[in-house]
Amino acid sequence: MAQTHKQKRLSAWSTPILLIAILVVFTVLVTIFGDKSLARMAAQTLIRVTFVVGLWIFVGNSGVVSFGHAGYMAIGAYCSAWLTLDPMKKGLFLPDLWPFLANAEWHVLPAAVASGLLAALVALLSGAAILRLSGIAASIATFAFLAIIYTVYSSWEGVTGATSSVVGLTRYADQWATLGWASVTVLAAAWYANSSSGLALRASREDEVAADASGINMYRHRLISLVVSAFFAGVAGALFGHSLGVLNPNSFYLGVTFITLAMLVVGGIGSLTGAVTGVLVLSIIIEALVRMERGIAVGETTLALPTGAQEIIIGIIMILVLILRPAGLTGGRELRLRIGGR
Amino acid sequence: MKHLFTTTALIMGLGTTAMAEDITIGFAIAKSGWVEAYDAPAVAAARIRIDEINANGGLLGKQLKWIEADTKSDQAQSASAGLQMVDEGADMLIVSCDYDFGAPAALAAEGEGLNSFFLCAEDIKAGIQGVGPNSFSASILAAVQGATMAEWSIKERDAKTGYVLLDTTIEYNKGICTGYDWMFPKAGGEIVGRDTFLNGDASIASQITRIKSLAEEPDVIMLCSYIPGAASAVRQIRAAGINSTILNGSAVDGSYWLDAAPDLSNFIVPVQGSIYGDDTRPAVNEFRDAFEAATGAGPSSTYAYPGYILIDLWAKAVERAGTVDGAAVTAELEKMDNEPTAFGPRSFSDQLHHQNTAEMQIVEITGGKPGVIGSFTISEPVPLDVLLK
Amino acid sequence: MNAIPQLFFDAMSLGGIYAMAALGIALIFGVMKLVNFAHGEYIAFCVFALIVPSTDAVAVMFIGKAPAIVLIPILLLVGAAVAVASEFFVFRHMRRATPVAMMISSFALGFVIQNTLLLVYGSRPKAISLWPELNKPVSIIGASIPLLQIIVILTTLIVVVALALLLKKTRIGLEMRAAAENFTMARLLGVRANVVITGAFALSGALAAAVALIMVTQTGVADVRMGGQIMLVAFIATVIGGLGSLPGAVAAGFLIGAASVILQGFLPLEARPFRDAFLYTLVIVVLLLRPDGLFTSNSTKPRV
Repeated sequence: MAQTHKQKRLSAWSTPILLIAILVVFTVLVTIFGDKSLARMAAQTLIRVTFVVGLWIFVGNSGVVSFGHAGYMAIGAYCSAWLTLDPMKKGLFLPDLWPFLANAEWHVLPAAVASGLLAALVALLSGAAILRLSGIAASIATFAFLAIIYTVYSSWEGVTGATSSVVGLTRYADQWATLGWASVTVLAAAWYANSSSGLALRASREDEVAADASGINMYRHRLISLVVSAFFAGVAGALFGHSLGVLNPNSFYLGVTFITLAMLVVGGIGSLTGAVTGVLVLSIIIEALVRMERGIAVGETTLALPTGAQEIIIGIIMILVLILRPAGLTGGRELRLRIGGR
Repeated sequence: MKHLFTTTALIMGLGTTAMAEDITIGFAIAKSGWVEAYDAPAVAAARIRIDEINANGGLLGKQLKWIEADTKSDQAQSASAGLQMVDEGADMLIVSCDYDFGAPAALAAEGEGLNSFFLCAEDIKAGIQGVGPNSFSASILAAVQGATMAEWSIKERDAKTGYVLLDTTIEYNKGICTGYDWMFPKAGGEIVGRDTFLNGDASIASQITRIKSLAEEPDVIMLCSYIPGAASAVRQIRAAGINSTILNGSAVDGSYWLDAAPDLSNFIVPVQGSIYGDDTRPAVNEFRDAFEAATGAGPSSTYAYPGYILIDLWAKAVERAGTVDGAAVTAELEKMDNEPTAFGPRSFSDQLHHQNTAEMQIVEITGGKPGVIGSFTISEPVPLDVLLK
Repeated sequence: MNAIPQLFFDAMSLGGIYAMAALGIALIFGVMKLVNFAHGEYIAFCVFALIVPSTDAVAVMFIGKAPAIVLIPILLLVGAAVAVASEFFVFRHMRRATPVAMMISSFALGFVIQNTLLLVYGSRPKAISLWPELNKPVSIIGASIPLLQIIVILTTLIVVVALALLLKKTRIGLEMRAAAENFTMARLLGVRANVVITGAFALSGALAAAVALIMVTQTGVADVRMGGQIMLVAFIATVIGGLGSLPGAVAAGFLIGAASVILQGFLPLEARPFRDAFLYTLVIVVLLLRPDGLFTSNSTKPRV
């Protein structure tokens, strides 16, 4: 028996609900059984979920690999710092800020939303140019965009503090605040993927020519998805700053670009479930390896991995996953409940 | 590889947790990744001072214990490592040398009202102005190093013209140049040109072309950079036939990189203590030998020394406060005015948790051989508004 | 002092390094659509192969002790070996994977190589004195140029000519060109896929070794992160040149080198730290004007 249209829609909405349930269980378990340092890692993981799911909204639906999202993250992170930092500190370390920003003392939540909006605005402007390109040329252009943002933010002395870290951000982004944003991002991603724009974009990903012939304006839908996607990358940036308390342009360059892309690809670039799975699985393995480097008591003795082994092992694990499952752990499938008959 | 096995052995030996009646010092430091090179020697020096204190009966009648967590040269791991140390009952935190990588851990300590000490941060933000009221650094501000070079070169080498070559990659470099820019014109010199580069640039040929196009070779070139970029820049500068005296910050101290620029001469490095056993103060040389005896090799750069100084100063403050409580110890530290240490006097105040003036040893490299040629103290401390620039 | 010839040599020598690295990336992209992010780590690996593995601060020469006539071929072999090994252990098993999955695994491989180097050699940058006499300045048409700059430019020209001859005159070269144009078709016509791919990796690795030698001679230091910057510029050069086009990669490498030197030379002081922002804006502009690159190979043109 075939599913009815309504049942299919319900079934599609079960994906974000299940994923959020997994995130909630993860957070509750860590909070109950873990110490402060583990709770901090959970918050970092949830920030990455926010970022990678945001990244997936563009990359997963359009099929264009973006190296530029860490740039949107930087924009969001610094925007939140401009809006929430103590004006006295801003006068001291960011003397060239415009008066409106220099005197701003926003609450953290509207600041996070504003950070996302600024990132989305920049995405609209940069995407308008970059997305005229396709395939690898577009990817390279996003990379050039990242390099531009990085260079500007690490040189604009009076506004971003340049290479000098901005310090003094309220560290409110604990595991609960980040869980909230990660859940919102998952819902938004599911909403976008099932919207007409998302469906049109995925059709064009599968067959550009056929989609074009069907009257789909690929450029327009790519731009929409980039703007939505950059919003969450910006929010993730704001959360990142408010989790560490310190901002430095180096946090938003190649390291985070590659590790998050790796998480997306290892999880499975083709599905929202893949984006969440990739972050959770790799983050948990990394934390486990870090703890093994620290040493695990086995009876009387402590066994420990040599310091620095964690990075090598995680690299090898990523390669093995990609060799064994080139489409990622989820293989592009979604986690969903079957509602109604089969 | 040898290093790797010793760390593993250390971890194995550390199976037991600190007992409640001990005072626990938490090290949230890089044991892997590129920051490790800066942290490891300073940590070794700090532990020598800890052992000395324990051998003399401990602090407040208690033994000092240390625990450690790896920041992996990563900011997020640094925050986690800091919290881990707090969780495991640290009474004070020692964090990474570099400000960017130490700050997240230091903020964790600040959040609990604990004292934190950067192993060798030379940025004013590694203190009240950035991390918070209980955070200190034992090293000497970068601007002091630049100002020392400026005034020394004018007074001792009769320098009249200077050229500034700034590597904009990290904040430390900018601090050096800030100090130099403040002092050099003030002491009567003229800055005839300036340029920037990046530490990772494959070639600085166009920067060199700019120096060579000056009407006259400058007396001194202030090179604000660190290894490896500094080594590469020096090699290219000398290869181009420019023989000006090159002034530096402490970051290029050490002889390990000198192969990069064979037969280097006219190259000046200001340091807080010489690693070559020829310091003008015998106590420094004694400590250098103690370091060699304890670790099997002499310090590879002057950045080992602040680790020793910070434990020394903190322990004195704890002794005077009669407690390890963060605020009380901070109050005692801020009372220190020209407190004597083996490396010269140190001062803190409620304005500044750094040294804005200090006696520095001047190391000159001649024919590829480094050696102390004297010591120098700037004629006035670097003012706060220059530091905050 | 003559500024224009000086600038020309500065631009050509920096461009030469970029061009050689871009060639290494373009070769592999041509035959298997892989953007090899491990290329920068091949460069670092070759640099560290010159010295004895140890975490001590002072580096002791290992391969680097040999006279040039022995050292150069050995290091080229080391580069080729590490590239071929990475193909054998990683990319050979990913023939059916998407370009994105291959790209990410190349990044993971680079991460593994980099951290292995950190573990074996320690994190402190090392000094290597290789052929310091090459840094002596010589005088040419009014400009004083380090000998090395001339050697870099000549080496690039020799490498490009040799590669062109190899591709034009030999069977493997013919197969590689066929594979770069249309890999599936080439296979159907009897081109030995594995031989071609291994060959491309070997050449690419040897090019990385050549870049490593030039970098070490120029800078005198070894640092695990030293290949990264060059690799990124080379990657961009490959795209601007037209992916899969070898002459395009070389030309774009020289262009980026020249643009970088000119920006450094003519930007006002306050704008100089922003040099790379201008450079990458130029990259986007070039891409928008010529989306398929300056020199397009037929295979990358969309057919519809």
